[in-house]
Amino acid sequence: MIGFIVLAAVLGLGLVGWFSARTRARLLYTGRGSLHSTPGYHGWHMALWIVIPALLAFATWSSIEPGLIETSVMSDPAAAALPAGDMERESILAEAHVIAANPGTAAFNPLSAQLAEPMRAAQSRFDLIGAALVVLFAFAGGGYGFTRIRAGFPARTRVERGVMLLLLAASLMAILTTFGIIASLVFEAGMFFRDVSPLDFLTGLHWAPANAVGDDLSSNFGAVPLFWGTIYIGAIIAMLVAIPLGLMSAIYLTQYASPRLRRWLKPALEILAGVPTVVYGYFAALTVAPLIRDFAAAMGAENPSTESALAAGLVMGVMIIPFVSSMADDSIAAVPQAMRDGSLAMGATKSETIKRVLLPAALPGIVAGVMLAISRAIGETMIVVMAAGAAARLSLNPFESMTTVTYQIVQLLTGDQEFNSPKTLSAFALGLVLFIVTLILNIIALRVVKRFREAYD
Amino acid sequence: MTRGSNPGPWQSPEMTRRLARRHAAEKRFRLFGMGAIGLSLAFLALLLVIMLKNGLGGLDWSFLSGSDSTDPSLAGVWGATKGSFLTMVVTLALSFPMGVLAAIYLEEFAPRNRWVDWIEVSINNLAAVPSIIFGLLGLAVFINTFHLPRSSPVVGGLTLALMTMPVIVISGRNAIKAVPPSIRDAALAIGASRVQTVFHHVLPLALPGILTGTIIGMARALGETAPLLMIGMRAFVASPPQGFTDPSSVLPMQIFLWSDEIDRAFVVNTSAAIIVLLVFLLAMNGLAIYLRNKFEVRW
Amino acid sequence: MSETPKLTARNVDVWYGPKKAIDNVSIDIDNGLVTAFIGPSGCGKSTFLRSLNRMNDTIADARVTGEIKLDGEDIYAGTMDVVALRARVGMVFQKPNPFPKSIFENVAYGPRIHGLAQGKGEMDLIVEKALIRAGLWDEVKDRLTDAGTALSGGQQQRLCIARAIAVSPEVILMDEPCSALDPIATAKIEELIDELKDNYAIVIVTHSMQQAARVSQRTAFFHLGSMVEYGETSQVFTNPREERTKDYITGRYG
Repeated sequence: MIGFIVLAAVLGLGLVGWFSARTRARLLYTGRGSLHSTPGYHGWHMALWIVIPALLAFATWSSIEPGLIETSVMSDPAAAALPAGDMERESILAEAHVIAANPGTAAFNPLSAQLAEPMRAAQSRFDLIGAALVVLFAFAGGGYGFTRIRAGFPARTRVERGVMLLLLAASLMAILTTFGIIASLVFEAGMFFRDVSPLDFLTGLHWAPANAVGDDLSSNFGAVPLFWGTIYIGAIIAMLVAIPLGLMSAIYLTQYASPRLRRWLKPALEILAGVPTVVYGYFAALTVAPLIRDFAAAMGAENPSTESALAAGLVMGVMIIPFVSSMADDSIAAVPQAMRDGSLAMGATKSETIKRVLLPAALPGIVAGVMLAISRAIGETMIVVMAAGAAARLSLNPFESMTTVTYQIVQLLTGDQEFNSPKTLSAFALGLVLFIVTLILNIIALRVVKRFREAYD
Repeated sequence: MTRGSNPGPWQSPEMTRRLARRHAAEKRFRLFGMGAIGLSLAFLALLLVIMLKNGLGGLDWSFLSGSDSTDPSLAGVWGATKGSFLTMVVTLALSFPMGVLAAIYLEEFAPRNRWVDWIEVSINNLAAVPSIIFGLLGLAVFINTFHLPRSSPVVGGLTLALMTMPVIVISGRNAIKAVPPSIRDAALAIGASRVQTVFHHVLPLALPGILTGTIIGMARALGETAPLLMIGMRAFVASPPQGFTDPSSVLPMQIFLWSDEIDRAFVVNTSAAIIVLLVFLLAMNGLAIYLRNKFEVRW
Repeated sequence: MSETPKLTARNVDVWYGPKKAIDNVSIDIDNGLVTAFIGPSGCGKSTFLRSLNRMNDTIADARVTGEIKLDGEDIYAGTMDVVALRARVGMVFQKPNPFPKSIFENVAYGPRIHGLAQGKGEMDLIVEKALIRAGLWDEVKDRLTDAGTALSGGQQQRLCIARAIAVSPEVILMDEPCSALDPIATAKIEELIDELKDNYAIVIVTHSMQQAARVSQRTAFFHLGSMVEYGETSQVFTNPREERTKDYITGRYG
């Protein structure tokens, strides 16, 4: 909670700085034109000098503090008894953390109770150091800002330059995030590919990371079954549901529904897009999957599994419907009214106009929308985690359990195992493949959409 | 080509039959459209009805005020709700200012060059990157590199902020773009600087649109599970988090964890937690729609 | 003119929601000649034109009352099939609006949906005839598979006329067909209208009085939603009966 107090203090100091600088600048006012900038800008100049260095200091400190605390706790004699396993260690430390924050909580592991006290001490020590550091920066910045207040000082230009820098920095966050994703995926996947050859990974047909020990690594990391499961569920079954239903919904909404009906149906369809994926996943596992299993049993399948590619794909398709529908809606709306009129004036019926004129004209936009939908479906995680299953198999039978890239990433990173084992690292390799594929789909689709919009502008 | 002189061909039996066929096709097409949207909404209705049927019985005060427990009759959602709230505070505090500032820069000040193109491609793509990838990023950067506390709202919030920011940037840009240039011209013509023009005139007019986009982005973040799985927010947390660095769960994660329990009684809990989550999401989306309808200005 | 009029309108009102756009218009339109609707913009001439092939149906809150008959058949009657009606009453729009298809497919579109051609050979013939009549054949015969949208503005408009005549309509409605074109393209279209008039009843809406005087045999002057005067073009332009027509023709307003 001390972080909150520090932030509030910084903002308070900024406010004080704003008022004092403005007051001082007002005193300098001797007549029209005597000040280069209005007192308010002197206030802002001062406030920026107080807040920005202090916030930068706060951010830096917050990111290094946990490491410092951990180092300090590790130097405690009790820490020597910590187990080597990462997960266990983490959970003991986490528990110690809770006990340190709420003294009196019962400890599950006696070791964490022992570590709680050094943890609390280190925490409050480093918190205080950090707070002092942040306030120091605030005062230093404020002091500098205050000395700048003169009649001829171009406070407005300076503030605006500062604002521009802020704007630019915020925009660069996007690049930084993209770079962060690529760097972390490439780095961790690179460590994986030192042990397993990329060729085996991308073309191997056998996926069994659990058996992967010793020299026989590569033969157990063949990801083709995962790619197949992902494509079968996300790009085939889900799209067989989402494309016809989404497209026809969009056509009905834009071409047939009365404005009043449209006002009700469109938001209703948007609710479908707003339902969290974990809810869809639960619905798939609880209701849809058993139905499909019973259906498979009725069709004569022996021992049909509860988890099936069909259950996951169907529900995923329904989830994607509003997405396809809104992309198709936009594309159809972008076709000029004159085309529609031209066709109707020839005596074409509405459906003939839609099928022969509107859809062909809107096709690039619709195709791009479908590509974005596929990109979303193959990256979808919760539904497959809850309904698709763990079995990596190359099969065409939709009633069988199948696994996907996202399912395996979750599986590999949430079990109990050490960091930096090939098993955990393979999750990043899968993530890298997923990122690259969705990146290509997204970039092509976004470019097509852009060109398509320009064509009819 | 002299058909024009007599109306005959349109009354011939052949043509009449053809016309009837075309009108029947028209009716079929229309019904198909109606069926498509009806089927989609029926699925939604079925989902809601089943959740309500399973979950309403479990919604009582002890459920709303309790935390996770191995005993289904004692388990509740308060701990997860508080975790969600803390996570959302972090997400909003970071993604909203960043997103708005980036949107202003790209729409009002950015020069047309290769760098800005990269930023744009980057943002548009980030908005479509699978959420689980953001989880991998959070795991590699915030936890493995900066050693921030695992499964805490601060890491969850940071991760979701990176995911939400592009959504806010895109909706923010659209809202800013919708402000007519004449307003900018008017401000510039009386001697306002470009920064003053943007912050005094353009931004206030664009704010309702930006807020709508922000609420929708936050609603998405609130329902997100996959990236939080990556940063370990699936721990069993029996007491509500007291601060941003305490281990905590969030609502969708609680749903996921309970959905895995064998005990039949957890079906009630899971469905009840889904109802709670959906109520929050519906309220947020309702607010967004209200804002859009109330403040939307057609120029 | 001995034969009965092709189109007759009696006491036609057109409403857009609560707003009356056309007030009590009655007019007879004959075969084999060009009828021009002139008047200041917003006078309702285009609105009235669109009610002649029921294109107003596509506007959500538009309503037409009164009686419009094609060959004595009420086009707003329940028994009238709007699809067949629009095939018999073709329309050319203000801005050329070829479909994003090939030149051939643009012209073949109408015959195809109405089933007017049996087999490829007959379709080729219909398309060729329509393009010849629209005066476009020589310019496009070697590139029928090119996109219709790749043609110049004037060519696009003649393509739209070819598209309209390919279904052998009886009436052709033209809504300011030259307003988006340059003078040379305009001259070509006017020449074409003159050639086409022997086989069809043509109604043209125009904001240019010179154009009305050049291409039409009858002229109707619209003002504020009513038809002020209707008569032989030469009479309307040289010796208008109504004061308002005279004011408009001599450029007092408009």
